[in-house]
Amino acid sequence: MEREVVPWDNAEPLSGPIGVPLVDLLDRVLATGVVISGDLVIAIADVPLVRLSLHALLSSVNERVPAPWADGGPL
Amino acid sequence: MTECGPGLPEADALYVFAVCREPDPAVIADLRGIATGAPLRLLRFGELAAIVQTVRAADFTDEAWQARMSDRGELERYARAHHHVVSAAAASCPTVPLPLATLYHGEERASQALFAETERFRAALKRTTGHSEWGVKVYAGEPPTADPEPGALPPRVPDTGGGRLRPAPGAGLAYLERKRGVQARRERRHEDALRSAETVDAAFQKVAAAGRRLRLQPQESAGKGRLQVLNATYLVGEHRSAELAELARALRASTGTEIEISGPWVPYSFVGEV
Repeated sequence: MEREVVPWDNAEPLSGPIGVPLVDLLDRVLATGVVISGDLVIAIADVPLVRLSLHALLSSVNERVPAPWADGGPL
Repeated sequence: MTECGPGLPEADALYVFAVCREPDPAVIADLRGIATGAPLRLLRFGELAAIVQTVRAADFTDEAWQARMSDRGELERYARAHHHVVSAAAASCPTVPLPLATLYHGEERASQALFAETERFRAALKRTTGHSEWGVKVYAGEPPTADPEPGALPPRVPDTGGGRLRPAPGAGLAYLERKRGVQARRERRHEDALRSAETVDAAFQKVAAAGRRLRLQPQESAGKGRLQVLNATYLVGEHRSAELAELARALRASTGTEIEISGPWVPYSFVGEV
């Protein structure tokens, strides 16, 4: 049977559907889009969760992660 | 379907990927979605439809996500699974992506909540139809090979007395001057790069319908020794997207920075309040 391979088929992190770097993907799939209130996972897009958990991983996605400069860079 | 509280571990939840206008059910039929088991389906509300999947509520609690987000591999799989569905939908119809992990206790709750936001979805569709999102990242140019001998000791001359070496007169001062020069050059490089970032942003803004600055990505993801000075994203009309590569080439040449373009993205960054 022919079926498109999806990320879920493999336990390993894949390059993904169109080879998007994870860090760029997370910039977009977290806390962007039309944020509507869900019933579960209230804190997913919230600073504490993202900061605490992601900081160690990628630290790209929230306001408080320091930029490469002490002054916060160009933002 | 009855509504279930979060306390029931066997309860189902509804995961929402995106909201579309007139989606083709065939497009999502073969996608696996975010969890094994239930197929993806459409949940219609008003004139719009959401792409949803029934999942086990117990697998998608705050705690479960906490654990997931502490594991890079897991996080990546979920992010990509989400993105895969969103991208597939957007390729076939006007689509508003929702952020990772929007979940409801049941179909009724989801319909209600989505229906209540119809106006925002409509506005987002209006803004983004016929447009794509393009990421633009700028890195400072190559660092100048400033310090010829990093940490080099000042030159020494033989000490007439005991045969030991000792610094030549003025060598310490020269050393400090050199160090100061390195620091100044480094600062200048930062300033130049930041100015270039502004130039690049302004140029892309002219082509784009809208633009946003994202957080600068840390050095470890930017790559060793690369200094990111701009992480921006732009909403660009499809008729103008062909101009972007040429624009980047021109800006690379005029600013001396490294410029990376990614896209087209589903306009994740431009469906919320811009």
